[in-house]
Parts: sequence; structure tokens; C-alpha cells
Amino acid sequence: MTAGEGSDAEVIARVLSGDAEAFGELITRYEGGLLRFATRMLGSRDAAADAVAEGLVRAYRHLASCRDPAHFRTWVFRIVANRCKSHLARRPVGDVSLDDAPPVAAPENAEAAFERNDQLERLERALAMLAPEKREAFVLKHLDGMSYEEMSAVTGERIPTLKMRVHRAREALLAALKES
Amino acid sequence: MTPALFLFFLLLPQQNDGARLAGHVPQAALAGVHAIIARAEQDSLPTEPLVEKALEGGAKGAPPEMIVTAVGAEAARLGTARDLLRTAGAPGPYRTSEIQSVSLALARGLPERIVSKVLSAVRDTAPGFALHAVADLSAHGFGEDSSAALIVAALRMGLTGHRLLDVAAAADREVQRGSTRMQALAKVRGILPAIPPQPMPPGAMLGATRPKKGGG
Amino acid sequence: MSQELDPRIHRALDGELDRAALTPDERALVERLDAAARALSGVPAVPGFAQRVMGIIRRPLRSPVERFRQWLTARHPVTVSLRPVYSVIIAVLLVALLWRGPGSGPLPLLGEHEGVAQFVARFPEAHSVAVVGAFNDWRPEATPLSDDDHDGVWDARVILPAGSHEYMFVVDGERWVSDPMAGRYVDDGFGRQNAVMEVRPVRSE
Repeated sequence: MTAGEGSDAEVIARVLSGDAEAFGELITRYEGGLLRFATRMLGSRDAAADAVAEGLVRAYRHLASCRDPAHFRTWVFRIVANRCKSHLARRPVGDVSLDDAPPVAAPENAEAAFERNDQLERLERALAMLAPEKREAFVLKHLDGMSYEEMSAVTGERIPTLKMRVHRAREALLAALKES
Repeated sequence: MTPALFLFFLLLPQQNDGARLAGHVPQAALAGVHAIIARAEQDSLPTEPLVEKALEGGAKGAPPEMIVTAVGAEAARLGTARDLLRTAGAPGPYRTSEIQSVSLALARGLPERIVSKVLSAVRDTAPGFALHAVADLSAHGFGEDSSAALIVAALRMGLTGHRLLDVAAAADREVQRGSTRMQALAKVRGILPAIPPQPMPPGAMLGATRPKKGGG
Repeated sequence: MSQELDPRIHRALDGELDRAALTPDERALVERLDAAARALSGVPAVPGFAQRVMGIIRRPLRSPVERFRQWLTARHPVTVSLRPVYSVIIAVLLVALLWRGPGSGPLPLLGEHEGVAQFVARFPEAHSVAVVGAFNDWRPEATPLSDDDHDGVWDARVILPAGSHEYMFVVDGERWVSDPMAGRYVDDGFGRQNAVMEVRPVRSE
């Protein structure tokens, strides 16, 4: 949360009283986390951009029904998570695209970069093979750093269920890393 | 809607119910709502009113259990409505709007036997206006049976559609002029079918726009 | 394929157990997962994303006809296999929908079973008033009323199919009010009353 523009609740109040442009501040605050979440959920940067854009537009149009502006983050994550579910539901089963090249950081040495890429690809594949609800739980917990309470607000699932999904996801990813 | 338009909406890969409800209805209500919608589909009942009821509950911030209950109640009413149409001998298949009209009359508190009476008299025309007219009269304190009798009489004289609302309004105006309800009903019955229509105010169409439905 | 991890490892990752309490082997696994999460976190930014979203928001909502046009030209993952007779029907409908015909001047072209619903309400202290109903999926932002002369009387005229429409007003984006002048109400199943409006067809039936 940047100090300059006020808390999420304050920005929301401004948008609701007619300052549509103020919504841009909320987009800037959350686009990184939302894009990361959607990219890992859908396996494609383009599909993720679509899903997050749709979700943010929806969040804007329904901003008045955000019951607790102090928890905008979980509310908008929930909307985007639902968009991702919609996108996944429209795909034929098993078709998780890994069409984008994994991000390449500037390599300090070529060998290390090669290893990192190879491992990342394995991780991405393992993540893609998880059932969507386990993938979602892992991404929210470990990539977006949410607490189980926050995850419950986003998914509507009970905490023990979420824990179980995260645990199974971890085990699957570790198993994928072992194959070297 | 003409049959062709109906087909059109059937074939459009429109946003499915899941996509329409997700994000608008609390997660905890979704399973229950989808189950009710699935059952309604199996029973060949219209599902759009159920989606709309769920969206309404979500928009109004109702708790999940209340939403599921309300959608279930609507589904039950739709089933009763269709049964009443069948019993009255109305020719099927029934359009969503017909079933919804009857369901709305039930929701407004009209007992099933009164609805049946009106449906038997309506025959080929849309039942919505007739049912509303009876419900309007009933809401203004007129007895249900005498209200139904007046509207049935109006139907027999060839009045249909919104003209039936004019009949109900005329009876109400009589009471406001000082008649008792029995006197009002008798007076209106006497002047049928020459009930004064309520005109649309001039310029009412200016600036009219269509609503935008279905999310950005 | 994947082995179950010791619950202590899970608890440590969930922040419920101090990592110092783990064995070196267990800690190695924890660090591996942390590294995996870090690797997966590196998703590059999408340049101009905020502007793209704001661009969509600033654009007025598309009418059903425009959305249909857009649907025609966009790629869709869902394939609809049509029987030939349906293609003809759709072609006819296309023409009907896209060609508004001569004389479509300032007055909207009403269908045979459509009418105009006039929503009027008096809210002198309000900053915004909207009407919500099934016709706009109960979304307060879809159909605002206007009070151009600031006399506290808000109104909107909406083309709707002839028949019954349940609705409420939403004042200042948060106060849901039943239209006091409706004369006809129905229990909404959520503890409130929807007003009911009968829209009469503009053309006589």
C-alpha cells in the first residue's frame, strides 16, 4: 500500500463518489499479484492478462458491493479466481497451455541459467498438472503469501480443506523436483 | 418472444449460468443454487428466473442460506405454476413468461384456487395481466373471490391485457370516491366493457433507453 | 508418485512450527519448497496493463447488438455445430437486428412486445439513484436515474419487454428502497419488498 494515495478503502470511497480514474490506483497496487496468480492458474500470460482484466473491470462495476473496503485485496482476488475458473472450465480437460517461454533472468552464468530454466519448466508443468483447486491453494499460499483466513475469504472454502490442498500440492511439486 | 428469437438465444454461446453467478453470488450459496437449477432443468422448468433470483440475492447482500432458500422457493413456485396452467387446460408448451406470470401471482399471495379460476377464464391469452388485476384488487382490500369474478366477467366481454389493469384501477377509484367495495365492484361490472383506459403520457418515449444486461 | 511429507514440515511451512525445531533433512525440504515458490513467483509484468483496464472501464457498456457483432468476429473456444436450418434463421435474425430500417430517428425502435417503463422517485437528499431489477441483473451501476434540474425528482425511461418487472431503487449506491409509489409489491424472499411494474406494449396487441 503506497502512502501517497491513501488506503484501499479511501481510494474506493473516491471511486464511488464519481472519480473513476482513481480506480487506476487500485489496479496498479494489485495487478502484479493478480497477474502472477492468474498466470500460474492458467499457464499462459495472455490468458492471465485477459482473466485479470475481466476481473478488474468486474470489480470496478461491482465496487459498490465490496462489503468491506478494508479487505479489497481478498475481494478482488476472489473475483479474479472466479474468472480463472471460468476460463479453465471452457477448456477441454487436460489442455493446460504452457505456450509462453518461462521468464529468463539475466544469467550470471549460462549453466546456472540453464538449470534454473529447466527446473522452472518442471515446476510449471507440475503446477499445471495439479487439480485446479490444489493449484489455486498453493499459488495463493506460497506465491501471493496469503494467510489461510484470507484464502478462505477468496475461495469460500473452509481452512482445513485449504490446508489439505496446499499440503498435497507441496508434495506433488517436491516429487516433480526430485526427477532430475 | 417469437420461436426464432427463442432459438437464437438457445444457440448463442452466452455466458453460462456458472459464469453469470460466479463473483456475484457468495461462494457458499453456489452449490445449493446450482443443484436447484439442475433439478429445474431436469423437470423442464425455466431456469432463468432462478438465476435472476440468485443474482438478486447476491446483489442485495443476503446470506448464502437465504439465497438458496429463496431460489428453492422460486423453483417450487414455478413447478406449481406449471401444474396450475396444465390443470386449467392451457395449451402447452408454456413460455417462461407465462410460467413466471403465474409464479408472480402466487408470490403476491393469490391462493391456488383463485389462480386456477382466472387461468380457466383466460384461455388463449397471456395470463399475466389478468392475474395482476386480481392481485391488485386483493391488495386493495377487495375479496379474492369477488375480485376474480369481476376480472373473469371482463375477460368474457373480450377485455384482455393491460385493459384488465384498467378494470382494477377503476374499481379502486370508485372506492376512493366514497363507494363501498361491494358498490364499487357492482358499478364497474355494470359499465363493462366501457372502462376508461389510462393513456400513456405524451413524450414518455423520449429519451427512453434499453437496459444493459449481463456484465462487462 | 508424490510421497506424503512429514506433518512437521507442513506445519513449519504454514508458520505453525519454528523451523529451528526441524532436522537438517527436513529443513532442506522446506528450503527447496521456498526456492520453488520463489522461482514460480517471477512473473514478468505486463506493460501498459493498468491503461488497458482503464480503457475498457472508460468505454461505455456495449449494447446487446454491439456485443452480438463482437461475438461474430471474435474467436471462441466453444464451437456450436448448427443444423443448416438454424443457420438460415440466424442469418435472418442478423439482418433484422443489424438493420434498423428507415425512419429510425431520435425515437427508439420498439419491438412489437415492448413498452416504456417510466421509473420516477423523489429523493431530495440523494446524490445518485439507480433502478435495479432482473432486467439489469440487479446491478446498481447499470440503470441510473437522473435529476437534471436538481428538484429532487429522479427519473429514467427504459425500454422493457411488456409484462411484469420486479424492481427496487438504490440510493447513493447503498440504500435499497422499495418504490413508495408503485402500488404493487411482492415479497422478494430476502426480507424486503420488490415493487412490481406492469409495462404496457406501445403497440396495441
